[in-house]
Amino acid sequence: MVPGVRYGTRLKDGPVRFTFDGRSFEGRQGDTAASALLANGVVWFGRSVKSRRLRGVMTAGPEEPCALLTVGEYPNVVPNVPATECVLHDGMVLRSQNRWPSLAFDLASLLQWGGGLFTAGFYYKTFFLPGWRTFEPLIRRLAGLGLAPGPEAADSAANHPPAEEHLSCDLLVVGAGPAGLAAARVAARGGLQVVVVERELAIGGETEFEESVIDSQAAHHWLKAAIASAAARVRQGSRNPRRVPRPELGSVRVLLQTTAVAIASDSVVAYREGNEATNFRIHARQVLNAVGVQEQPLIFVGNDLPGVQMQGAAERFAALYGWVPKEPLVLFGNHDRLYASALRLRGQGARVVAIVDTRPFNANSDHLRDGAGADEWRRAACSLLQAVGVECLTGCTVRVAKGSRRLRSVEVVATGGTAHTREIRCEALLMSGGWLPRRALPVGSVVGAAAGALDLAAAVASGHAGGVAALQQSGSLAADAELPLAPLATGDPSPRAETYLRSPCATHEEKRQYLDLQNDVTVADLRVAIAEGFTHIEHAKRYTTLGIGTDQGRWGGYVGAAILADLQGLPSATVSTSKDRPPLASVSLQAIAGWRVGESFRLVRRTPLHDWHVAHGGNPEPMGLWFRPRFYAVNGKDAATAAVVEAGRVRSSGGIADCSTLGKLEIAGPDAAKFLDEIYLSRPSTLAVGRSRYAVQLREDGMVLDDGLVLRLAEDRFLATTSSGHGLHVLSHLEHHRAHRAGLRVSIADVTDCWAVIAVAGRTVADVLQTLLGRDPRELSPMAFWDWSGLVQGVGVAGQGGQRLRVLRAGFSGELSFELHCSPALALPLWEALQVGGLEPYGLDALDILRVEKGYLTTSEITGQVTPLDLGMEAMVTKAGPCIGHELLQRPAFHEPQRPRLVGLRAADGQSSFLAGSQLTVGPADRVPVGYVTSSVFSAQLGETVALALAARDVAPLGTVLWARDPLRGREVQVSVESPVHFDAAGERLRGRY
Amino acid sequence: MACPFCGLRPLEEFLFRKTVPNVGTGSGVGVGADADAGASAYAQVYLRVDSAERSVEEWQHVAGCRAWLVVDRNPSKGVVRSVALLGGAQ
Repeated sequence: MVPGVRYGTRLKDGPVRFTFDGRSFEGRQGDTAASALLANGVVWFGRSVKSRRLRGVMTAGPEEPCALLTVGEYPNVVPNVPATECVLHDGMVLRSQNRWPSLAFDLASLLQWGGGLFTAGFYYKTFFLPGWRTFEPLIRRLAGLGLAPGPEAADSAANHPPAEEHLSCDLLVVGAGPAGLAAARVAARGGLQVVVVERELAIGGETEFEESVIDSQAAHHWLKAAIASAAARVRQGSRNPRRVPRPELGSVRVLLQTTAVAIASDSVVAYREGNEATNFRIHARQVLNAVGVQEQPLIFVGNDLPGVQMQGAAERFAALYGWVPKEPLVLFGNHDRLYASALRLRGQGARVVAIVDTRPFNANSDHLRDGAGADEWRRAACSLLQAVGVECLTGCTVRVAKGSRRLRSVEVVATGGTAHTREIRCEALLMSGGWLPRRALPVGSVVGAAAGALDLAAAVASGHAGGVAALQQSGSLAADAELPLAPLATGDPSPRAETYLRSPCATHEEKRQYLDLQNDVTVADLRVAIAEGFTHIEHAKRYTTLGIGTDQGRWGGYVGAAILADLQGLPSATVSTSKDRPPLASVSLQAIAGWRVGESFRLVRRTPLHDWHVAHGGNPEPMGLWFRPRFYAVNGKDAATAAVVEAGRVRSSGGIADCSTLGKLEIAGPDAAKFLDEIYLSRPSTLAVGRSRYAVQLREDGMVLDDGLVLRLAEDRFLATTSSGHGLHVLSHLEHHRAHRAGLRVSIADVTDCWAVIAVAGRTVADVLQTLLGRDPRELSPMAFWDWSGLVQGVGVAGQGGQRLRVLRAGFSGELSFELHCSPALALPLWEALQVGGLEPYGLDALDILRVEKGYLTTSEITGQVTPLDLGMEAMVTKAGPCIGHELLQRPAFHEPQRPRLVGLRAADGQSSFLAGSQLTVGPADRVPVGYVTSSVFSAQLGETVALALAARDVAPLGTVLWARDPLRGREVQVSVESPVHFDAAGERLRGRY
Repeated sequence: MACPFCGLRPLEEFLFRKTVPNVGTGSGVGVGADADAGASAYAQVYLRVDSAERSVEEWQHVAGCRAWLVVDRNPSKGVVRSVALLGGAQ
């Protein structure tokens, strides 16, 4: 070995230069940020969130709670990357988190001089008066983890979304440790298509550092070879003529750096990090969880000091990255693996001064290993270590780790009590409280260490058996299949999680017995939680924030739950940890979103005139899935001014609007009329062919679902229009009812996209249409329509070649108005021909003005909580036959005087404006509203704001003056209750009488 | 969920509509047929047997064949017992 040169299995030749908090460092290719910085002698990696204590590197994997870094330069930053997972590349910029102005000196940590300031519930209790909002900005500055990427980052090339890949396989193995690979190997030999996901950069799990043997080979090599041969056989199969490829030949595909995080419907969701970031959906017939184990911490005073580390983490750093602590080192734990570890670390140059083992010799409680040989093995290991100067303190425990900014010494006491204490100088402490199964996916079976097979021999056997079981269950196991025998393995002695919870200490010291390093949750906080009544782990978790950090309690979550039970005098065997929820590992929101960003964020529906709107300043905005122009820029700089111009033009001359977004359903069949009678209040069966009717449909509970027109196209054929946002919902509703009325001969087709709709309204439109059609549309009686066939001037011929045009005399503007339903191909020429005739387009906002002026319902009135009686449709209800929801309109509650009623509102002073959403009260100081404003527009026609509102009918008869109150926008206006029809109440214009 | 027409499909394709009120008495929106229609309609809308073991529900395979389905499932275990076509027996 060359002094100063690190040897590790993950390291490659060549330097990597990077900066950490502005300082330049050099690491090796393959290094993680943690290993490179540790090798450079860096001790401090960040500060904790709440109490801002300095922290080092605790673990060597994704469970790292302390060393979280922000990677990159703003705005292209990725926050909260565990240093242990952050593989370096040249020029990387790393920053520590939760410190200001610098890591070594942090102002907020001065707050801690108050001592125990941030105990559980601190925020709730302290910032109650004069109000949370006073302190919130300051607290928000102190809180939070890392720096979020800037808004500009989304557009940068470096920030491309991860790919998405769907995979199918017979068997998904989660975890490429010994058990998982043994399972994959045998399953593939038996003919299964196997996918293995492994969160690490390499396969092998613990065998990467454990001195272990499988079938007389180094375990790690054996595993690599097993998988390589399974993968190679697939490639060779067809090329080698001697080997007849079996159609069911199995295969293994290993996905590294990939974490299975959740189940989504019937597939497993897994994310691959790194350069080829991919969001996998894995559809597997069977799932085997070989997720391995999580090393548990030990709880003693000062167990968060930089210098304290998990023993397994140190082993990984040593084997993979060639780093061992150079300082005097103490190992502290409760199982035999400490001794094997001490020997290995010594071999790599660590100065192990002592082993502190909580288990005394010869104790009856030594149930760690079955059989009588257990103690003997340990005695032998002890004498071996003592011979080379390592002190072995059995039956002892580390009570306190001392040091202000890093570990300087530990205080060791006998487990029995605190009588004999001694202090050992050390600057590194490796602890291990045994191993517990990692969280597995809630599907499939569990094998290997995660199923309790903690030593290598048992884990490999368990994995092999799991693979054979998967083969048997798949049913594809040929009778003559030659399966490999279960491999034989030997490795380190088995560690187990013993019920050792924490070292003894005085109550006042418990505030430094850390259970959650990210959120600074201590044993003292659990005591507070219990005192406050949060005795259940789910409550205590939320009260103390135990396990809510990015590590999700992997480090101290279990021990915390056990101590919570212990503090209450409950046996820890009854402990339940808090519920695991997906994702099982932290995943960036970008990874979850995948390609569903920007234009792909959701489905988009565009009308046939969309491009025209865009080209003419219509700036279509999303309305549900549709895009509609709110106004045209040529008419004004913003929606408010333009809409007034556009609406005014409709009232004074005429205008056209693109209403293609209306839902259109065609209902046909011998029973179509009967069917629609059961849907709508307004009895479509009594319609004559060629006529239409305004129709309202109810939900089963009597509330209004939607309104629209029903056109009778033929004796057995109807067209129903729905409001733009409700088309799909109404379609489902109709299909639902049809399913219940299976005897009815009726079919339903969504023809929304087959028809463009242009609304034409105003006093001049009849002349324009007459020019186009060659026939006066005023010949149509109100609500009647023509299915037009013939020449349309400047547009084309309708009624042939699949081009259709329907002229319907109806509209919701209060003017003489028509709806032109046409084939999408005719839409643009028709739209342009109408403009040639002198009609200007108007947008959605103008449409709203026209509707509200006339008291026509907009979507804001149909809230799902109003009945037709509330909307003033008594006549329609009385005339209606039995239909969905009709019976329940009889419910007494719907006739109470407090029920809302659709009313019109105007400002009492005739000029003030008030907005939709304003609450209505009777008196100026009332705290209980009697209703609210649903729609409000400024009507240029009437010279004031007019509105529609839903108000309790007993306090809002016509002529009443109410208060419209809008405290958030600082408005209080007296309004008078009027008829909803503000304009042309007699409907003269509607009849074409101008 | 297994659609009778399309086979096993991801749950995102299906849309839940309602819990069928009285398991075993069939379904229907109570239009016309029933003499005691008011009470029946009320029961259809408002009365539920909330059972942790059994819930009979109406779903639509809305992003698939659009069939309406009666799904019998165990909510506490998340297990679908059976999926049948709504109105299929009539």
